[in-house]
Amino acid sequence: MLSQTEKIWNYLILTVLALIVLWPVGTFVAASLSPDRAGRPSTDLQWANFVTAWTEAGFTKSMTVSLIITASVVVLSVLLAIMGGYAFGVLGVLGEKVLFPVVLLGMMVSLEAIIVPLYYQFRSFGLTDNLLGVILIHTGMGVPFGIFWMRAAFRALPRAVFESAEMDGAGPLRLLRSIAVPNIMPAVYTLILLNFMWTWNDYFLSLVFLHGDNQTATVALGVFQGKYVTQINLMAAGGLIVAAPVLILYVIFQRKFISGMLAGAIKE
Amino acid sequence: MTVTVPNTGAASSAEAEEAGPPAKRLASPGGRRRRGARRRARRAGLLFAAPGLVLYALVVLWPMLQSIQYSFYKWDGVSASVWVGFKNYVTFFADPVLRSTLGNVLVLIVFFALLPIALGLISSALITRSKHPGMAVYRWIYFLPQVMTSVVVALLFKRLYAPEGAINEALRAVGLDAFAKNWLGDFTWALPAVGLIGTWGTFGFCMVLFISGASSISTDLYEAARMDGAGPIREFFSVTIPGLRGQIAVALTLTITGALRAFDLIWITTRGGPGTSTQTPAVALYKAAFVNPNVGQAAAIGVIMAAFCLIIALVITRVAEKE
Repeated sequence: MLSQTEKIWNYLILTVLALIVLWPVGTFVAASLSPDRAGRPSTDLQWANFVTAWTEAGFTKSMTVSLIITASVVVLSVLLAIMGGYAFGVLGVLGEKVLFPVVLLGMMVSLEAIIVPLYYQFRSFGLTDNLLGVILIHTGMGVPFGIFWMRAAFRALPRAVFESAEMDGAGPLRLLRSIAVPNIMPAVYTLILLNFMWTWNDYFLSLVFLHGDNQTATVALGVFQGKYVTQINLMAAGGLIVAAPVLILYVIFQRKFISGMLAGAIKE
Repeated sequence: MTVTVPNTGAASSAEAEEAGPPAKRLASPGGRRRRGARRRARRAGLLFAAPGLVLYALVVLWPMLQSIQYSFYKWDGVSASVWVGFKNYVTFFADPVLRSTLGNVLVLIVFFALLPIALGLISSALITRSKHPGMAVYRWIYFLPQVMTSVVVALLFKRLYAPEGAINEALRAVGLDAFAKNWLGDFTWALPAVGLIGTWGTFGFCMVLFISGASSISTDLYEAARMDGAGPIREFFSVTIPGLRGQIAVALTLTITGALRAFDLIWITTRGGPGTSTQTPAVALYKAAFVNPNVGQAAAIGVIMAAFCLIIALVITRVAEKE
């Protein structure tokens, strides 16, 4: 049993650390609502800052771009992950002794190692400054984790489910549609959330590949903050606008985010 | 967690089948039919996996090989390229500016990896291994920096570090005016200042990882240590740290490679400056690839970074498994 003092100490430590995390965020939120250009907190809440920041930064365009990219990547990645995970986890794959390690290797490949040839190759195909190019790269880089993640989910299903359906003469596609997919939805939801977050939050790839009208929200925010160094309140409002979609999902689905990121880190 | 279920699934039955004596398998006609079915399934499997594998090969594997090829050439992105052998690699380690990026990474490792892990270990040791009501709320807060776009994290701190920002105002308020400075514009302080952003961003993740790991250390071990008369500090070193070996290895791998690959935070806060005092390999790569094109050099930096990441991951896993 815990003594009372021990309990108080635990909460004290937890709270101090939580405040360290929250303090910069809190001052940022306060700044975004401040009428003061330097962003000093004020009780006079200026919600109009968000409107001003939205129009000044041209977020209508860049948020749309981010949304198109993110939605396409999430749909494509999840489809490829389900198919690949089903193949590696249930059906088995011809040559998997070689293929699976090659897939796992992909989880350690960083974007920096491939960005240079990617850019110059895609440029020769006209795929730079083109949403399709970025969508393909995000999706392709997500394949290893997607297969790894969905394979684990499929392997956790009891084998008997598939065997009895196989007896009834169901082909692999029908098995997948009617038996496997309904049973792995929790893993799919987590994968959707993680993919959404990774794609939406990306900065490096968009910075390299997309310019002008095709800028994503994160890159547009980078440009905006460079122009409005003296207007901290607008800069903060713009930052919160860009962070909002993922933050809202994080508020609603916190358990899935945290367990997904922990499991993704440990990769077992 | 969905992924940790032991092998009751497809793999175990596949393994069992492969492990069985071949003679016995061929003897029964039923076995032969099942083997044929397995082959058909594996062919279908290849078909199912193919779209993902092809895209992965085109977007990741092929460019990886090309990176190596590019790294042996001198190319400005426009005119014809010239074969230069290992010159780009030699330059990386010989050029004072490029070499200094490795020194900067070492400093960043202290802030991105060692400090958050130390903080995480200490806090997970101080927090007793029992259920805390409200822990979910704390966990939510600690993970918050992980889900925020790096651009926004950079902006948060750019504001705090600004000449008129909160940190300087706090210093002035307590009469330490002499210490107030433009943190990100200072040759000495910019790198630690950027590093602390990394500390802020990762310590919560390390903490949650360690607390969840510590909860699975058997209480018997702690009782045994107490019986031997171990104080809290010896208990920490002889029970907690060995028990968290796996989690520490994961955290070290992620955070050290994170320091090596740092780009977003630095590009938005300092662009590698002042001078080149906060330049990392990734920033040098970006500049060489897209600002003043020296594409071969950029590719070589990418290959070197990938090699370092791989070596770090392998060494850490090896050491963690051996002990």
